[in-house]
Amino acid sequence: MQRKFPRFSLLLLAMILAGCLACECMMTKDPVYMDLANSNAAPSRAFLFGTDAMGRDIFSMIWYGGRISLLIGFLATLISTVAAVLVGSISGYAPSWADGMIMRTTDIVLSIPSLLLTVFLQAAIGGEGVYRLAVVIGLTSWMSMAKVVRTEVLQLKNTDYVLAARCLGGGFFHILRRHLAPNFAASILFMVVMNVRNAIVAESTLSFMGIGLPVGVISWGSMLSLSENALLSRSWWMILIPGAFLVTTLLCLTNLGNYMRKSINKRHSNL
Amino acid sequence: MDVLTVKDLSVSFYRESGEIEAVKHVSFSLRPGEILVIMGDTGCGKSVLCKSIVKLLPDIAKIKTGQILFQGKEITGYSEKEMQKLRGASFSMIFQNPMTALNPCMSVGAQIAEAVRLRSPELSRRERWDRVIELLELVGIDRAKERAGQYPFHFSGGMAQRCVIAIALAADPAVLFADEPTTSLDEGMQEQILALLLELREKLGMAVILITHNPKVAARVADRAALMRDGELYRIGDTEEIFEEIIYNNY
Amino acid sequence: MRRSYITIIEELIRFVLSVFFLSVLVFTLSRVAPGDPLYAYYGDRVEKMGTLEQEAARERLGLHEPIPVQYVRWVKNAAHGDFGISYQYKRDVKEVIAGRLGNTLLLGGLGFVIIFVLALLLGLFCAWREEKRADKIVCGIGTLTSCIPEFWLSLLLILVFSVWLKWLPSSGAYSMGAEGSLADRGRHLLLPLTVVVLGHLWYYAYLVRNRLLEETRADYVLLARMKGLSGKQVLYRHCLRNALPSYLSMMAIAFPHILGGTYVAETVFSYPGIGTLAYESARYQDYNLLMLVSLMTGILVIFGNMIAEILNERIDPRIYLKTEAQQRR
Repeated sequence: MQRKFPRFSLLLLAMILAGCLACECMMTKDPVYMDLANSNAAPSRAFLFGTDAMGRDIFSMIWYGGRISLLIGFLATLISTVAAVLVGSISGYAPSWADGMIMRTTDIVLSIPSLLLTVFLQAAIGGEGVYRLAVVIGLTSWMSMAKVVRTEVLQLKNTDYVLAARCLGGGFFHILRRHLAPNFAASILFMVVMNVRNAIVAESTLSFMGIGLPVGVISWGSMLSLSENALLSRSWWMILIPGAFLVTTLLCLTNLGNYMRKSINKRHSNL
Repeated sequence: MDVLTVKDLSVSFYRESGEIEAVKHVSFSLRPGEILVIMGDTGCGKSVLCKSIVKLLPDIAKIKTGQILFQGKEITGYSEKEMQKLRGASFSMIFQNPMTALNPCMSVGAQIAEAVRLRSPELSRRERWDRVIELLELVGIDRAKERAGQYPFHFSGGMAQRCVIAIALAADPAVLFADEPTTSLDEGMQEQILALLLELREKLGMAVILITHNPKVAARVADRAALMRDGELYRIGDTEEIFEEIIYNNY
Repeated sequence: MRRSYITIIEELIRFVLSVFFLSVLVFTLSRVAPGDPLYAYYGDRVEKMGTLEQEAARERLGLHEPIPVQYVRWVKNAAHGDFGISYQYKRDVKEVIAGRLGNTLLLGGLGFVIIFVLALLLGLFCAWREEKRADKIVCGIGTLTSCIPEFWLSLLLILVFSVWLKWLPSSGAYSMGAEGSLADRGRHLLLPLTVVVLGHLWYYAYLVRNRLLEETRADYVLLARMKGLSGKQVLYRHCLRNALPSYLSMMAIAFPHILGGTYVAETVFSYPGIGTLAYESARYQDYNLLMLVSLMTGILVIFGNMIAEILNERIDPRIYLKTEAQQRR
């Protein structure tokens, strides 16, 4: 089963990424300016994708807000990956009683509904804003990756070269960096990409439910949090257009992630 | 009349990187009740040859040219349905690693019973189970009644291979394909399995195509031997002649 | 026989310990988090109260004591089945939950059953047509559905079916005055159910597909086909059978997640269920309600994991052998 390289997805993703990074060039209007005279306007030549209930230009908001959504996606993934690698490798490397304890704790944390965990963490960290939300999302999404890292480390721990490195007196972080990480990198790469996707979903969902970013901070999620009004006023462009961008980005990331997944089995079906 | 005739058979694998010829213009025939050993190095196309005769190749492999005749009837163009009937009744196969060839989640008896039912659907449950025990005893498994209810992991490699042979015999085949049946077993077991094959041939009179890369195995059981290299079957003849040639060429 | 008793006792101890730690964790987290539960009880009136009045109110609700003391008291009461009152609804939390439990069980339970069956069927279909056009189309659509955030799918469905076509209601669990009507319940359930199912379906269907594909590469498939079975028969009788234990244990873990993961659909469709309750209680520091809701979902998760482990060990003879060997060692 040879997987084709997802050229189209990568290209699309690069275009969205570039458009968001260079949002100053893309924007036709000021995304935060509230043109109250033109609120709830349908797409037209002046407002390419229409305006929202507060009269902001949706076309400009998409690029401007995409930057925040993607930033949160990447930042949260960075945090969750670091946490997963640390917890997973420490747990796998530690004696089995400590390993058992760490994994039990992880299981208990996993058994708290993720939404509740998010609300708790947000309350604990306090304040509002992009970085805080990224930290919260990162801290609620490291568990399953940590389990994979642990399994890999458990297998690698007793290989000859790791034993040799330990005999030579290599410290934990040295062994992690030089011997363990290069080996499990391949198997978590797919999860890293999926975590970017999941973090973007989390940002938009939380902002939509009113516990992520406030309406004033523009992101794809906070743009969609005005959808309840849009439904009443039948302003479909407020829901469909930002959502379409969101889904396209997620789809591209998924295709990319699936490509990086370790192939299951190179053999041919006997069926 | 020959039980199996293969004429000018070519098989190719079609991958994205291009066509790979695995079997090239192979011709041979198999007489009733004889043991033909096909020898060759790993990857020379022995296995593909066998699987192409019973049409169990993966989707990307195609028979390019050639004819296959079974008891004088051409079966090259047989549909999957017709092949299924043929496989259940006339052809059987045993494999290199019995532990992976048996379904790990099904009791050995149930797996043999499945083959018995496909061959003789008219048997009652009771009769079918009797036949299973009979087959297990035939391949030399002690306490057959008890062993029939056990799972493959309860068996040693040699015992598991006997079970696979029992499944193969359930069809009462005219041709038995043995694809490296002793390679994964230790030496003592190898000898036992080969002896069993010879004994069964005497009792049941089926023809056997045995694939191996081990000349010792070939020498032990072969009536005739064939040599393969790079997909070509370049020599076929009496075992003694072939062995003389091999020795002559090597020294 | 004796050994299985010991494992059951072991599992029970682990279960109790897990629940204990979970309750401590939720209790502490919710109380450490800033925010004032008085707001949940009194609403905006809190701002008009003096400090003394606030202190008195706190004392009445038992919020003035240190956290460990509060916890011990909570456990003592809980042992008698008294989980306290909800600050927001000013009723026994059990009543508040009982009033909504049915709705969530209906939504999540029905969703789970549909996912369970459909994932298996889709996985089988895709494995059977591996890499053929039908498989590629289903995989493509599946991947797409897995990329649509649940809240946006909900909005999309409301926009199409409620706003534009006006076929289905956009919110609630039943219409006013039609509480007993099954057809009315069904109409209200249709859209949230679609969201719950599509939100999880492909993840599990894809897992089934890949698991089955692994099986189709095994040698025993060749042997089974040599017996004269058709490819389809081998898939059903051998591959599916071997993949089923891991699917069952996977779904045991999935059950609490699907049941507890209905809150987005519940929120968007204003469906009165446990999900929205959990969300509100966490946001507004409705401590007693929060404790019971998270304990319920937590216990369900731990329980699901336990069942999965037991299924794994008992059904699959291969794994059974492994554990047997470990115990011998």
